[in-house]
Amino acid sequence: MTPLVELRHVNRTFKKGRTPIPVLQDINLAVAPNEILCLVGESGCGKTTTGKIMAGLLDASSGEMLYEGRSLVAYRGQARADARRALQIVHQDPFASLNPAHTIGQILSYPLKRHNMVQGRAAVRRRIWELLTLVDLTPPGDIVNKFPHQLSGGQRQRVSIARALTVEPRLIVADEAVSMVDVSIRISLLKMLHRLRDELNVAIVFITHDLALAKYFAWEGRIAVMYLGRVVEIGATANVIGHPAHPYTRALIAAIPEADPELTRNKQRMKLRSEDIPSLTQIPPGCSFHPRCPFFVPGVCDTRVPPLENAPGFSQDVACIPLTSGMGLQEWAPVEDMVADGP
Amino acid sequence: MTFNSHNDVVLSVQDLSISYLTPRGRLRAVSHASFDLHQGETLALIGESGCGKSTLNLGLMRLLPTNARVDGGRIEYTRRDGAPIDVLRLNDRQLRQFRWSECSMVFQAALNSLNPVIRVRDMFYDTAAAHGKRFRRQVRDRALDLFRRVRLDPERVFNAYPHELSGGMRQRVLLALALLLNPQVVILDEPTTAVDILTQRTIIEVLKAIREELNFSTIFISHDLSVAAEMADTVATMYAGEIVEIGPVYELFYRPRHAYTLGLLEAVPRLSAGEEELVSIPGSPPDLIEPPAGCKFHVRCPFATDRCRVEPPPLEPVGENHLAACWEKARVLTHALENAYHDAPR
Repeated sequence: MTPLVELRHVNRTFKKGRTPIPVLQDINLAVAPNEILCLVGESGCGKTTTGKIMAGLLDASSGEMLYEGRSLVAYRGQARADARRALQIVHQDPFASLNPAHTIGQILSYPLKRHNMVQGRAAVRRRIWELLTLVDLTPPGDIVNKFPHQLSGGQRQRVSIARALTVEPRLIVADEAVSMVDVSIRISLLKMLHRLRDELNVAIVFITHDLALAKYFAWEGRIAVMYLGRVVEIGATANVIGHPAHPYTRALIAAIPEADPELTRNKQRMKLRSEDIPSLTQIPPGCSFHPRCPFFVPGVCDTRVPPLENAPGFSQDVACIPLTSGMGLQEWAPVEDMVADGP
Repeated sequence: MTFNSHNDVVLSVQDLSISYLTPRGRLRAVSHASFDLHQGETLALIGESGCGKSTLNLGLMRLLPTNARVDGGRIEYTRRDGAPIDVLRLNDRQLRQFRWSECSMVFQAALNSLNPVIRVRDMFYDTAAAHGKRFRRQVRDRALDLFRRVRLDPERVFNAYPHELSGGMRQRVLLALALLLNPQVVILDEPTTAVDILTQRTIIEVLKAIREELNFSTIFISHDLSVAAEMADTVATMYAGEIVEIGPVYELFYRPRHAYTLGLLEAVPRLSAGEEELVSIPGSPPDLIEPPAGCKFHVRCPFATDRCRVEPPPLEPVGENHLAACWEKARVLTHALENAYHDAPR
């Protein structure tokens, strides 16, 4: 099956003054129709840039972004407009992404009219009603004439999602879409995204720094872990979270506190060799994680960039030479036990 | 760790109410909050944004904005020499001494809390000088010792400008600065929000280590239940300006008695829990200018009965050091135990 969108050997550099900063290096990712893919990683790992390239908002410096098997830049005319319309993004901050001077009804009507999604005022109005109902903003009559500041953060984020849905997209990139709403209502937003995915047959690329949230949202999908502009591990969520391969993924999972006192206080921690994230202008040679990795093998990890491939004993792909070459776990240094004090 | 003796209370808050005067009317941000903070204890305040946790903490240090009023209550602090201090009655001079040398605070935005145009060392010297400590040698030794304890490279950081430090390092500089005058109470406002996972881990480990070494009490505000689960001895849930439940961390997480605490616990995914069934709390927090009658949570509460709609539940004991203000505490507990939210390895 042709992937809905695919990134092939995508690199992206930004310039800071005269210094080029390689934000993405050799990204290969494919999203199937109706799939859920989570991009996780710490700030500066390139997850948002990847999302923007997938949504067609940014071009790759080199490499290709394919939509339905064809390079996005090869589309012309109406086909191009259709392709661009099929790729939508929901931004992190619902306070900034909605125009404060326009009512919710206006905000939703612009894309409907601009893209001729429906004809006639009555049809526009009907469609806005449908969309608001779809994102659980009911009754719609209470919402259409309100301004963004009259809504709560969660409601605003629902409006952002409704706006993305106006043009009937096939992919929604949700960039930290729930990180600014309160814990108590995050789950309802995620459940709604799940439902929309089923009902409208869209694929969702969910970008987050919160692994627990990624686990919950993408339980039936895949997770890609990014570090310093590269994907270091990708696979089915249950495998990546339950049986992590890459030392960086393991470090993340070990480091995350859990909302369960017993569990979190007895978790095995992993001690890194260095706590500092290297600067993107000075990415270490070979595996970029090697200066921090407790399983560092001199002469191997610091010389060759590890390819992202299957490792024996794991069902996911991982960019770690000691793992993929079958050097095995037993040769690695033991994990230092940093169990916290009990009650 | 349990805290039940009454003679090691360093900070006692009794029936504290704080409101803001707004154009629409009086907004009750904190209503009748009471708790005791013991020596060496870590108290976590959890709740949604707007629940009053930040106002409560600003009130403790008397840092409230000018449109805020303390409507009533007492804040009693006990100095190391045993002398009691009535915080609400301190005059300006006494207040300046109280702040930082008895009770200090680490603010949320680490980047904004450090002066960008002076070196870290000058911030330490200035802080010490404001409290009459003018011997730079001693201040420097203390600062370098603290930097080592918070796992910073002492010499480099001491002479650095804030922009030369990463977010996690700045957060630890602020922590060292908060501990400079050896206070008994340190208030941490969202200490690990907006930092990366591995940085957060470092900060948590550092906090755990130094609170043992230096023996201070901590109040920390967090919307992140997982940090509370790991760090706190005692957890207080705040809703609509009230402490609706307070108790030892294990009690609160495994045997919650307030529907709101249960709601929060059921809304948070846990990484090592496999596939989970989670539920959001419906609705949004109430208007604090015209709060609902009865239990303020009843509008959003799946357990609400007619009684909840009219009669506010009192905060009453439900176990050792554990209090909850909920009419349906029995049903909440049964639900929590049945759904085995804490199916964790015991």
